[in-house]
Amino acid sequence: MAKPSERVITIPRMGTLQLMLEDMFARLDVKYIMPPPSTAKTLEVGVRHSPEFSCLPLKVTLGNFIEAIEAGADTCLMAGGCGPCRFGYYAQVQKEITKDLGYDVDWIVLEPPKKGFISFLRTFKKMAPHRSIRYIWRQVLISFEKARHYDSIEKRLLHNRAYELEVGASEKAYTEAIDILRPAVSKEEIAELAEVALKHMDESVAMDKTKDVLKVGIVGEFFMLLEPVVNFDIEKWLGERGVMVDRAVYTTDWIAPSLANQVGGLSKEEVSKYADKYLSHTVGGDGQQTIAHTVLYVEEGFDGIVHLMPFTCMPETIAKSILPKVSKDLDIPLLTLVVDEQTGKAGFITRLEAMLDMMWARRAAKAGHDDWIPAGAGTH
Amino acid sequence: MAPTVGLPRALLYYKYHAAWDAFFNHLGVETVTSENTSKKVLNIGLKASDSEICLPVKVFYGHALDLGEKCDYVFIPRIVQVEKGSFTCPKFLGLPDMIRAVDNPPEIISPTIDVRNGRHAIRDAALEVGRMFTDDEAKIVKAYKLAMKALRKHEKDLVKENIEKTPIEKLKSLIGGNEGNKEPVLRIGIAGHAYNIEDPYISLNLIQRLKDRGIEVVTPENVPMKKIKKAAKDAPKDLFWNYERDILGASYHWVKNKVVDGIIYVVAFPCGPDSTIQVFVEGYAKKEGPVPLMSIVIDEHSAEAGLVTRLEAFVDLLTESKLSAQGV
Amino acid sequence: MDGYLGIDVGSVSTNLVVLDENEEVVAKIYRRTQGKPIEAVQAGLTELEDLLTEPVNVLGVGATGSARHLTGVVVGADAVRNEITAHAMAARHAQPDVRTVLEIGGQDSKVIVLQDGIPIDFAMNTVCAAGTGSFLDHQSSRLGIPIEEFGGIAMTAERGSQIAGRCGVFAESDMIHKQQVGHPTNEIVYGLCQALVRNYLNNLAKGKDILAPIVFQGGVAANEGMKRAFEEALEQEVTIPEHFNVMGAIGSALLAKRIMSRTDNTTHFKGFHSADFEYKTSSFGCAACANSCEIIQIAQEDGSEKGDVLARWGGRCDKWDLAPTSITQA
Repeated sequence: MAKPSERVITIPRMGTLQLMLEDMFARLDVKYIMPPPSTAKTLEVGVRHSPEFSCLPLKVTLGNFIEAIEAGADTCLMAGGCGPCRFGYYAQVQKEITKDLGYDVDWIVLEPPKKGFISFLRTFKKMAPHRSIRYIWRQVLISFEKARHYDSIEKRLLHNRAYELEVGASEKAYTEAIDILRPAVSKEEIAELAEVALKHMDESVAMDKTKDVLKVGIVGEFFMLLEPVVNFDIEKWLGERGVMVDRAVYTTDWIAPSLANQVGGLSKEEVSKYADKYLSHTVGGDGQQTIAHTVLYVEEGFDGIVHLMPFTCMPETIAKSILPKVSKDLDIPLLTLVVDEQTGKAGFITRLEAMLDMMWARRAAKAGHDDWIPAGAGTH
Repeated sequence: MAPTVGLPRALLYYKYHAAWDAFFNHLGVETVTSENTSKKVLNIGLKASDSEICLPVKVFYGHALDLGEKCDYVFIPRIVQVEKGSFTCPKFLGLPDMIRAVDNPPEIISPTIDVRNGRHAIRDAALEVGRMFTDDEAKIVKAYKLAMKALRKHEKDLVKENIEKTPIEKLKSLIGGNEGNKEPVLRIGIAGHAYNIEDPYISLNLIQRLKDRGIEVVTPENVPMKKIKKAAKDAPKDLFWNYERDILGASYHWVKNKVVDGIIYVVAFPCGPDSTIQVFVEGYAKKEGPVPLMSIVIDEHSAEAGLVTRLEAFVDLLTESKLSAQGV
Repeated sequence: MDGYLGIDVGSVSTNLVVLDENEEVVAKIYRRTQGKPIEAVQAGLTELEDLLTEPVNVLGVGATGSARHLTGVVVGADAVRNEITAHAMAARHAQPDVRTVLEIGGQDSKVIVLQDGIPIDFAMNTVCAAGTGSFLDHQSSRLGIPIEEFGGIAMTAERGSQIAGRCGVFAESDMIHKQQVGHPTNEIVYGLCQALVRNYLNNLAKGKDILAPIVFQGGVAANEGMKRAFEEALEQEVTIPEHFNVMGAIGSALLAKRIMSRTDNTTHFKGFHSADFEYKTSSFGCAACANSCEIIQIAQEDGSEKGDVLARWGGRCDKWDLAPTSITQA
């Protein structure tokens, strides 16, 4: 194990989480290695060493850790939790597994501040032992602030992509927008450059805002929503087929669910307001949020809901048991996609295509005609 | 005729039925406990529940919906926290809502049991339920007290203090083919939820099968809470699920104090908490024992033949290792 | 005569139909894919043309099924669409007031719920074989009874043997057990039909409103025992459409017509003799990342070494994806 001051930290991959942590590590002058991008091999490694019924997020992130350790990391930074979703034990399970595999690494587990704010802060100090807690905390807050803007930029991408005239233009603008914000150091710079970046998203892409688009809300378990590798980049797929996508949770919403100013998330009161009729208590994870977001998307006039969850996920299985009633009561098309390591892309896409057809056909029927074009490839 | 309340014989019924019975009886409310789990009950459950939910919850659907046809109300409390700081399984938190989401749901009584709601949280929940049947609050409070007393007695009756190792001579007599010998020769700890291992249909009669072979069976409920809590301190992280804490603590205790010859971990597919706890228990049994441990995964398709074969093999293994350890 | 061509290429069967202007079936082919989709399509087209009593001027071509993209390239399809929508379109064409479509094919199965002719809910099973036709295929070879005879035998049974197990493997061991203890063969055969129906309803169709009129289609609908088992389980009448085993192809022809009639485009159809072309499929491993995806490409022989590459697919990302000009992404 490395000396605390010479640690090489790594993290699991999850969407834009990496952007925030790169920024934070740089501020704290911490050495780190990002795991190589998740691939089929990452999943294979993770699956081989994970308990059979554990969920896909555990398996993929275990794969990330193993690959990062192989690449030279000696300290794994992982989030904790205090239940009742089993995610709260994943760091411990992964620690046991990597130890069994003979990897001699240190684990830093960020438990939620509920268990005491001071011990939460002390965990950060493990990363940067020579810095004062006050200094560390200030840097963490600035990185978080920046990450909020990264999330807003991503949200803009999901909204804009459906209207782009040239396939891929919004994605390109997104990469550029992230690069615009990335160098920002001070709070002032962050605010200023975030505005430039958002403007870039809107102005550098040729869009037809009058285009008839479908609106689809994506709800479900956070990792499935945030990590494109496990959701077959569903947002891009939908966006390129003229679907305006909105997502229930963004990286910073997941990090700090109780803070105001959520990018996509809902406050506790809002969750209760929208979900209570169907599920009046938290069930851990994102189960109740899934119901709340579904109800809210219907109120906002969305055309359909895609519910993403890992196989065996407890909170989402509860939501899945209740969603058929919500879908029926509120008359909204809903597609639950349960993903595990066996899930194939072809079947995933086939179901999405059928879902798009269903939504277009409903729209046409509501307008009193049957004039809709099914989704897929071919002449238009 | 008195109103009837149905008690589904599933999930936490196995832990709390003594209290529920006592409570409703004192109020003069007739309780109807659903029949034992059967193919019929399971089929009702399979039809109504999501295919990916765990087996005991599917079974619960069967009991609850079957009772809905027979009673005024079905009692499905939302049991959130029975000990401060530790949750039950997420599925217990959403159970009433899940049953309400079926077509033609039964009328449900679902008080929330959450000790975070104050010192009198459980009494308040009892009052909420009791007021549905009587205006006499004193009577409800009395019913609540009787219920808690019945529960404590029930729990105490289950505890087996000071279990010692079984003598080797009896093992020899078993090897010698002494069929008449019904004295226990091996002791096996069954790690698992009461609602799985105590339900003969779900567990394929596991406990009785072992007993029929002259094996003593102990379950987490037989272990004093003090010992469970003490042993659970060895866990890699404080457990935030209390029922799983009990399973883990009991298993750790069995391993650490060499109370059992072997452990059978019964997991219902696809139980989320067990899939996690299992990793810790298996690791502990290997490192701190070693105590042989066999995991059995049960689902609605589990076949008897497969279980019997595995049980026989495991018992043979335990017998062999015990004999050789004793130099027999 | 003007007409539309529909092609459904699944992993087990390949179906082709020609519809006339009035959307009536004038010719149909149902054949095994046998792991060679291109050959199946080419041979199917030749056979289909032989069935036509007068020349058909093809105005549009639809492709569906798991090999729809490949098929689209080979024949020059105008509409490459998913099989769920295709089956829904065909079912409502056969029975306009249909509310529920039960479809069981060789390797997958579907349930589609419609309201006023519009699909409002669906589910598709592609993972577990126990809810698909391959379950019965497998058991039939195990019993030594041709699958074609299953339906007739099942209808002679007074009741079905209880065959337990969702998983095909467990069902098989239970079936063998029933054989060993002397259950009559016809009861076992019918019991297998009931097991398939039970698995289908308990897993795939769980939570779906199965309302009448119910249409049962797909290759497995040839088995009368399955119709009987569905009707007993649902306690409702189940209708099998005349062209039950080529409904995917019919749907895809309907989709092609729908699209062509809304555009000014002319068809990309390469003719019934696209069979005359030589296609070369090859594959290579992509080295761009650790996924090492196997990329499949299809080329038309043009005398050069590689040929004229028409399409490429198979990667997790779209790096290599190449679609011919007629197959632009929607």
